[in-house]
Amino acid sequence: MEFKLEAHRIVSISLGKIYNSRVQRGGIKLHKNLLVSLVLRSARQVYLSDPCLGGPGVGGPPQPPPAQEQLPGEPAPGWGEPHARDSSMEQDPEPAGAAPEPPALPLALGKRSLEGSPLLRAEAVPEAPRRRVEAAERGGGGGEGALEGPPRARQCCCRRLCCSPHGAPRADCGCRPRPDDGAPPPPVCPRKRSASGAGGGPAGCLASGGSPVKKPRRDSEEQPGDEEEMETGNVANLITIFGSSFSGLLRKSPGGGREDEDGEEEEEEPQRGPEAAEPGPMYCDKPVLRNLNPWSTAIVAF
Amino acid sequence: MKCFSRYLPYIFRPPNTILSSSCHTEADIISTVEFNHTGELLATGDKGGRVVIFQREQESKNQLHRRGEYNVYSTFQSHEPEFDYLKSLEIEEKINKIRWLPQQNAAYFLLSTNDKTVKLWKVSERDKRPEGYNLKDEDGRLRDPATITTLRVPVLRPMDLMVEATPRRVFANAHTYHINSISVNSDYETYMSADDLRINLWNFEITNQSFNIVDIKPANMEELTEVITAAEFHPLHCNTFVYSSSKGTIRLCDMRASALCDRHTKFFEEPEDPSNRSFFSEIISSISDVKFSHSGRYIMTRDYLTVKVWDLNMENRPIETYQVHDYLRSKLCSLYENDCIFDKFECVWNGSDSVIMTGSYNNFFRMFDRNTKRDVTLEASRENSKPRAILKPRKVCVGGKRRKDEISVDSLDFSKKILHTAWHPSENIIAVAATNNLYIFQDKVN
Repeated sequence: MEFKLEAHRIVSISLGKIYNSRVQRGGIKLHKNLLVSLVLRSARQVYLSDPCLGGPGVGGPPQPPPAQEQLPGEPAPGWGEPHARDSSMEQDPEPAGAAPEPPALPLALGKRSLEGSPLLRAEAVPEAPRRRVEAAERGGGGGEGALEGPPRARQCCCRRLCCSPHGAPRADCGCRPRPDDGAPPPPVCPRKRSASGAGGGPAGCLASGGSPVKKPRRDSEEQPGDEEEMETGNVANLITIFGSSFSGLLRKSPGGGREDEDGEEEEEEPQRGPEAAEPGPMYCDKPVLRNLNPWSTAIVAF
Repeated sequence: MKCFSRYLPYIFRPPNTILSSSCHTEADIISTVEFNHTGELLATGDKGGRVVIFQREQESKNQLHRRGEYNVYSTFQSHEPEFDYLKSLEIEEKINKIRWLPQQNAAYFLLSTNDKTVKLWKVSERDKRPEGYNLKDEDGRLRDPATITTLRVPVLRPMDLMVEATPRRVFANAHTYHINSISVNSDYETYMSADDLRINLWNFEITNQSFNIVDIKPANMEELTEVITAAEFHPLHCNTFVYSSSKGTIRLCDMRASALCDRHTKFFEEPEDPSNRSFFSEIISSISDVKFSHSGRYIMTRDYLTVKVWDLNMENRPIETYQVHDYLRSKLCSLYENDCIFDKFECVWNGSDSVIMTGSYNNFFRMFDRNTKRDVTLEASRENSKPRAILKPRKVCVGGKRRKDEISVDSLDFSKKILHTAWHPSENIIAVAATNNLYIFQDKVN
């Protein structure tokens, strides 16, 4: 039990660090964030493997959520943040023209945290081409609008709906640690959060046309821009996800999503984050956790 | 080891007038310290983007026992804060590294770098100035050519010594990630700069091109597992360099093997001790500094708790491991919380490669004698360092009864960290940067 508490504490501290890193001067430090993500993963593994872990739905495969309703206006955590993030917090230097890949995982996961539902492929229905997060929330393969439809195979070795949005079995889903599994797979979505956040939807991975096209991950490297962007998008996305998750935490209600804009939550987060993280994980169900990759899990938990 | 117990502390703090700060600000925090190849000059860089160079005064004949002191020689603003509008990123002006070039003429050259841009600075003295121009008068005002009836040859007249620093080259736009190291090649024509994922090779004369020689960026950033943390050229072989990683490994590469040195020639890694595994094992194994010995035979690496010496001929484990502050092992969680676990300590060799030095917390720094296996902990602080005083060895008490002049682990001040130190290339003179203060200690010969 102590280990679990310790792990929990470490996870919340780590999330706080990642969150704070985006407002640090000089941009996101890749090295530090990589290390923090490793700690996050280790703590998560301990958290999941601790036999004393109680909570709802202990054991067993993840259940479909009782209510799969689309939470209106609920922004999928971390996706296409609709609120006006000022560019000073921009940490994703992808060219605006690129439609960066949305962090499918965290999206779905974040959604899961609220609904407790695993990512369902069926939900990867291209929602209205809104860049809103809610479109993404639905999509298991996540990403804005999840227009790509074809859900990424999310089967892992344990045949649970799991982590990798690419179909690659993500061994680090709690079922078996993969020795060479390095940093958890952060979503690759270097989003530019434009201050306006407009242009067809929230800022975030805005494709040039503003249409919520989810760019295949493999294209993420083929940026139109000549200049290579520092790919800290994964971290940045994670942070936005955390931000949303923190907000979700505030409400402390699984189904009660956030109706308000992320923007509002944004301000609250800095101070609420650490404390808000505390009560959060207690009601996070373990089966859900098991299915998520480390990054996502952290989000779900908090 | 006895010589190490005696030091003449000289405390240098940049005068307020030069740095325009009357109190300790964040910008004054020293971020790098480096002696030049002769030890005559000592350069420091700080978070505010300034470089301060100290010069050792000539030993006077009158005071044979008194070694030359270091005085401020030149101060200049090397880097300014920038804002990358395209990426909405602020680029810090903090000087990450300074490296000197060997002196080839009367001027001194050094490389200084922040997160994105490397600059070559020329520091030169001017003690004469030309007087007697034809087209302008002594104040610099242009003369009316019509009034000139005779011509004269300008002559050089002595003036007060002026030291000027000019940027001779700016090597920019080559790094997507944050530059952590620069290293001058022994051919003195090229140098390399390393960021988290790439290493570039430059020619000093060419600023608009660089060769990428190492690229560990994965095609899919999700698969990123390690980053480059430090890199250095071999001191003698211009084709060889090493780089360290966040996973605690060192790779030695030979540029003759291929243009892109992604495949290493040698791979140094010590198997992890499973009994020490914790949440933070990966963080504390990340190497923060790597340095070749002067001989080129060994490399020294610093991770969070230890300093290791590796023989280039043996890849499977280091030949020596020194515990810097093992008492922190049980405190890793707190150190993670307050971010201290991410501190990047540097390490240095002395001139003969017999002693290594590195910093710790509470303004302590440690020296290890490789031959006698003795070590000492010293403190750099104003209170304990009267001029001409001898530094007293310090000891940290890890538990149980604390002796009179020991300090307990819980009393350590983690905000006072010594990350940057330097050792004179041939003499026992060390420079220790403690936050915004620079301490220079000399070995007192009796």
